Amino acid sequence: MNSPFSLKDKNILITGASSGIGRQCAISCSQMGANVILIARNEERLKETYNKLERGNHLFFSQDITEYNKIESVISETVSKLGKINGFIHSAGIEMTLPLKVMKPEYYNKLFSVNVISGFEFAKIISKKKYLDSNGASFVFIASIMSVVANAGLIGYCSSKGAIISGIRSMAIELARKNIRVNSISPGYIQTEMMKKAEEKMSDSKIKELRKNFLLGIGKPDDVANACIYLLSDAARWITGTNLIVDGGYSAK
Amino acid sequence: MKTNEFIEELKETLELEDVEINENTNLKDLEEYDSLSVLAIIAMIDENFGKKLSGQDFQSITTVKSLMELIGKDCFE
Repeated sequence: MNSPFSLKDKNILITGASSGIGRQCAISCSQMGANVILIARNEERLKETYNKLERGNHLFFSQDITEYNKIESVISETVSKLGKINGFIHSAGIEMTLPLKVMKPEYYNKLFSVNVISGFEFAKIISKKKYLDSNGASFVFIASIMSVVANAGLIGYCSSKGAIISGIRSMAIELARKNIRVNSISPGYIQTEMMKKAEEKMSDSKIKELRKNFLLGIGKPDDVANACIYLLSDAARWITGTNLIVDGGYSAK
Repeated sequence: MKTNEFIEELKETLELEDVEINENTNLKDLEEYDSLSVLAIIAMIDENFGKKLSGQDFQSITTVKSLMELIGKDCFE
């Protein structure tokens, strides 16, 4: 029986695929039968991800996604090699913990260019008829539980993630006519390199307090990847414009 | 801009792949022509001609030719 959760033969583009959630999404999607196209800056780490994939027609591109004028060539080359696109995960993201008084315009620009604008640019180009599968596609943006609730010192990060969940609603309405579903996932504390770095700036008591608030413990990249698989698959065919919270109960309190 | 270049820009903006259009094509007959695509055309005209048209301006638009007249004949070779 064909599972509605299968991603067999779907071509799925993933930004931020060299580490953390993006890397796990790539591996998990390949295990579900997808051909994945990995995009990130660091070629060495991209290859590490590539070598962990299940067999399939996969590609990787070492590309800075904030070089917006190069995005189309990545997509065009993908389509010429693998066929049209069925799915997109924007997992590239940067974190910044700084109090408001030391924030600068360039910090906001940096956060928004990686976390938001590059993802929206990818979505724009994939939506073109010449790149989009005739049955439509599913786009998934990785936001953060910090898009819905907040902590101090995250003005830039929270606002960029909030921009994602607001933006995807408009995009979902606009692209429904092309049978493109657009959703976001808001993960809580996931054990990744990025979170380890964030923890290095916190006191032990702060870390303890933070961890205590995740009722089901700290999450794994798998937890987000599995949610992604669902939203990319045909099982989610009637779901668009929504933000799926995957936070181990953090925001329930 | 040459007329054929403008028509190509228009096709790209409306994402017309299999449909051919010319100066006499009535835009309102195209499936792809709707309120959102009008906004995309306004942006395209601004970018190419530096002219800011309004949605109101588009109410009288029917054919590609009428759109070109609205932009201004002097803009086309």
